[in-house]
Amino acid sequence: MSERIFLGNEAIGLGLVECGVRVATAYPGTPSSEILSAVATFAKQLGRPVYTEWSTNEKVAFEVALAASWSGLRSAVAMKQVGLNVASDPLFSAAYTGVRGGFVVIPADDPGPHSSQTEQDSRLLGLCAKVPVLDPSTPDEARQMIGVAFDLSERFHTPVLVRPTTRLCHALQGLAVEERPGPPPAKDLGRFRKDPTHWAATPRYRYRLHVELEQKLAEIEGAFEISSLNQRLGPAARAPLGVIASGVAYAAVIEALADLGVDLPILKIGTPFPLPRRLVAEFLESVERAVVLEEPDACVERQLTDRTRIFGRLDGTVPVAGELGPEVVYAVVRHALEVLGRRVPEAPSSALQQAVAAIPLPPRSPRLCPGCSHRSAFFALKREFGPQALYPSDIGCYTLGLNLRAVDTVLDMGAGVTIADGLSKASRITGESRPIIATIGDSTFLHAGLSPLINAVHTGSRFVLIILDNHTTAMTGFQPTAASASAPTAKRVSIPDLARACGVDFVEVASPYDHESFRQLLRRAHDHTKAPEGGVAVIVADWPCVLDDPSPLQAHPIPVEITQECDGCRYCVEAFECPALVLSPDGSRVDVDLSLCVNCGQCIDACYKGFIVPRLPAEVSA
Amino acid sequence: MNAGPAPGTQLVIAGLGGQGVVFATRLVAQAAISLGWPVIAAETHGMSQRGGSVLSHVKLGPYPSSMVRRGCAHLLLALDPGEAMRALPFLAPGGGCVVNTESSLDERLEPVLRETGIRVHTQAATSLALALGSASLVNTIIVGCAAGLGWLPIPVETIQAVLDELAPARREANLAALRAGVEAARLAAPVT
Repeated sequence: MSERIFLGNEAIGLGLVECGVRVATAYPGTPSSEILSAVATFAKQLGRPVYTEWSTNEKVAFEVALAASWSGLRSAVAMKQVGLNVASDPLFSAAYTGVRGGFVVIPADDPGPHSSQTEQDSRLLGLCAKVPVLDPSTPDEARQMIGVAFDLSERFHTPVLVRPTTRLCHALQGLAVEERPGPPPAKDLGRFRKDPTHWAATPRYRYRLHVELEQKLAEIEGAFEISSLNQRLGPAARAPLGVIASGVAYAAVIEALADLGVDLPILKIGTPFPLPRRLVAEFLESVERAVVLEEPDACVERQLTDRTRIFGRLDGTVPVAGELGPEVVYAVVRHALEVLGRRVPEAPSSALQQAVAAIPLPPRSPRLCPGCSHRSAFFALKREFGPQALYPSDIGCYTLGLNLRAVDTVLDMGAGVTIADGLSKASRITGESRPIIATIGDSTFLHAGLSPLINAVHTGSRFVLIILDNHTTAMTGFQPTAASASAPTAKRVSIPDLARACGVDFVEVASPYDHESFRQLLRRAHDHTKAPEGGVAVIVADWPCVLDDPSPLQAHPIPVEITQECDGCRYCVEAFECPALVLSPDGSRVDVDLSLCVNCGQCIDACYKGFIVPRLPAEVSA
Repeated sequence: MNAGPAPGTQLVIAGLGGQGVVFATRLVAQAAISLGWPVIAAETHGMSQRGGSVLSHVKLGPYPSSMVRRGCAHLLLALDPGEAMRALPFLAPGGGCVVNTESSLDERLEPVLRETGIRVHTQAATSLALALGSASLVNTIIVGCAAGLGWLPIPVETIQAVLDELAPARREANLAALRAGVEAARLAAPVT
């Protein structure tokens, strides 16, 4: 048996290629980012012709893939859950227009949340948009569900959501590739066929499409009643307690029941929307009470009309926020059994947990990497504009500028610009004059920063916008942007030219590594926002991500040392926050951790007393 | 290789972003797969990789869920002493902990570790890794240590074969690190 380990996202990518996807698009975002690269890898490996692209944002990605479906090609789009918000406009509309080639939408939810702004449930967005949703519980099942989703999409001419969660996306499982090559590539249905009653439907036709959509959903629910994705397991006899579980929570509850030594009827739901209501009703008739386990919100539970016998999120049994980790699932089932008077084994001794809890452990928060040019940019901002300035920012690695207190707001992709715009307008009304210094990454600017910038310029707002251009989408694993050199054939767009085209009069490019000229530029930019003829000033802070492209750094290494005079004042540790600057155990001085230091020399200015100095060549060789 | 049925071992691997927790996870998981065992594991990605705590779970056997419940792990591999402390509550009574530290675990834990029968093996893996040429070898040393102690129920040769597959470019350094870990475990005084 030839098996290798697959990440959940790789299993999804493999499933897409096996099922004959022809066009796959995505915008990177944790926990979804590895899906598209897996599609590209397996397409090459299995010799299948697949077009893949990192689109500029999720709405673009969705629409590019949808047009491929309208052209009769199997297509798919992947994103993180908040990306589906960006793509919700075409999602709702495409439910009405319908599709031709199978069209699978993969929004990855992030219960916890581990790396997201919200714990929203994409299954509920599917419910609102009237798009069927499949909810896999393991990587292997996710791979299988892709085929079901394509078939369903083509049979009912509807987009289909396959919704994984973080713990599935980043689970590893052994899967065999060779032995199960999957179905042959779907035959392309032909070219785009003109059909204005669908693809360009006016409100009159939209009404008709809505009626059709509701009929489709009723038929899909009927198909789900007999689908093997929904299964009753465990004892068939009438029981005091049953479990309804969807997604990763199903895997967790199977183990919890084994650990508790109880055998309960389980209804595994693989199709949370539309919910196969007859199947669920039959299950509920066979049990006195039922626990509903699903995440991150209550999708199955909300579709139950009679919840009087349900233990779930809506009655407070299941915590309203956070991940359904194995401890939570275990505790919920145990609680339900106790309420019903069942004797359950004691929870394992928590002596160890209590002993560890009694010893304070410093939290290890994520920090910008050693050598990151964002740190240099933020440090310059703080020195130039001080703690009183307003620092709207955005989504990316540079959100960690929070640690340097150079980030005051983080809302959603692109809001770094719009919040600055709104603060400028609010300041005018309240009569205050604090500088507004916004930051946004290159990929985020291209994703959702352009319309906000046009708005700000057009309406006369005044702020400095710093586009932190590290030539890649670093946080999610170095995906190329439209402005970075990706494929040799890809046309690169220029960020400074885009800013000028948005109407910005002050656009300058500078390296944040060059402290003096960068600070001078910050001053000039701020002056522009105060000048009578001024407005928005844009600075493109240009330096490649040190992880993605360390070559410019390596070309001019500046090793540093800390002089004997260091008095351990902690200023550099706190204000510059480089992981390679560490306070000695007795707190008397700061040392350079040479295993982390990348010789960027950026910290030399971080000691205002001058105790961080370049290490002399003689000492380097010594 | 026929290694018999999967041992039903649950382990957690703890460290800091950049220490190679994900590599250690894949090393153990792929080694188990090459023995024909079912494996499911969970990695940490994203924001937490930028120097924050990283914890992964590996389960050797037909487990449906990728996550280890607190109090259920048979083995903890810790690449950092602070992260060892954070992950200790995952261990089941009688479990084993291999921790990279130049000193020892917090002495305040000694009574509870005795009471729960948890065995701790401390290994100064960072200095060993630096002696072998790179701090990034800590992960492989700790895996080697756990295998050498017999706590990780996977033959050293199997792990070695997988290293060839997973890290062909750094094969020699990783093999040296694995051997160093195994040796260090064998030389260590028997742990109680």
